[in-house]
Amino acid sequence: MKAYRLSPKCSQVIFLIGLSSALVACVNLKTVSDFSATSLKGIQNFEQLDYTFQDHCVDRCEHEAVQRFEFSRSLDCDCGLYLKADSVMLAMYQTIGGYFEALGKLSQNELTEYSTDAMVTSLTAEQLGPLTIDSNLATAYSTISNLMLRATTDFYRRRKIAAYIEEANEPIQVLLDAFQKTTRTNLKGELRFKKERLYAYYMDMKMNNTLQSDYEKGKAATDYYQAMEEIQKKELRMDLFADALLEIAEGHQELYDRRDKLVAKDLALAMLGYSGQVKILVSEFNKLNQ
Amino acid sequence: MISFIMGMAIGDFRYQNWEKLSFEENKELSDMQAAVLRCGEDILAYSTTLVMDEVADSLAKISSVSKEIRDTIKNLESIQKGLDTAAAILVLGAAILNRDPMGIGNSIKDLFVVWKGPLG
Repeated sequence: MKAYRLSPKCSQVIFLIGLSSALVACVNLKTVSDFSATSLKGIQNFEQLDYTFQDHCVDRCEHEAVQRFEFSRSLDCDCGLYLKADSVMLAMYQTIGGYFEALGKLSQNELTEYSTDAMVTSLTAEQLGPLTIDSNLATAYSTISNLMLRATTDFYRRRKIAAYIEEANEPIQVLLDAFQKTTRTNLKGELRFKKERLYAYYMDMKMNNTLQSDYEKGKAATDYYQAMEEIQKKELRMDLFADALLEIAEGHQELYDRRDKLVAKDLALAMLGYSGQVKILVSEFNKLNQ
Repeated sequence: MISFIMGMAIGDFRYQNWEKLSFEENKELSDMQAAVLRCGEDILAYSTTLVMDEVADSLAKISSVSKEIRDTIKNLESIQKGLDTAAAILVLGAAILNRDPMGIGNSIKDLFVVWKGPLG
């Protein structure tokens, strides 16, 4: 019986075609995958802001009790409105985060990396009916099949990702814009009020000559500036977080604008710029938390 | 924000005219300042809740896209499982051709593990 063999040159050509198509696909999906991962990190910093509307409400409630020199076994603070504001922030956070997490997972290469060990073992079996294949050639076949498979599924994934980016761009822009504005204007805005309340508290103390000793005066001034410093740190964190949201929005817009050209090299370069900016902001944010 | 500026202005007025103001006047202005600041804070929280009306539609759309993406991921994972199964069947075929009883036994076991295994 005749044994069929492919010439080594022929298998080399097939191998190279498979490799190049798979590599082209990899690069572009990697762009989306990296951008999604970086965006997700930036968005997750919401949990590290260390301040919510409810925190602000409880803080104010406690401050008022302190001013009145009032003691209560459990402070009764009416924070319903503030809890509702937090639930809006949380809804935006979870929805935006969920989208980038899903987009990142879909563009990850691990999703379509198949184990070819079983195939290699079966193809190199000594006796396969009329077909005789040596082990080197079997490995080459399995590598090609894997690469071709990747190329095909990557093409499918790229097509799907482009469609999802198109569908998601308008609503994600609305959400990212609303999220950054509510963080920068509303949540950070609450801190301005907190600063003003602290200023009034310590100024009243000074004007009323409540404090007698130099030590008491010094302690009060130190407490005031320490509290101000803590607030300023929180404000900076909120600004960095909001800046990252703006960068993410711009990056997603870039992906949307070039969704039909996900193969373009300059897209990968442009996205590196957006990811880089978000990474810098995340790193600055983390430094504040140290 | 107007209530913030008003609150600040009342405070500055109090401190600049501290000696001229009676205790009652000062107390009244202080309470007014606290109420104005409080009002501003509540407005910020309230306006955040109103954002929900603006974003509700976008939240629903993004949630729907995320669900579609997760479904696609599930499909791809099913394809992967199918391919792993196909590879396991190939091994079983080779073991049968080789008339290798131990190989057949192991291959059936592998095939069963792959087939019964979870997706992804």
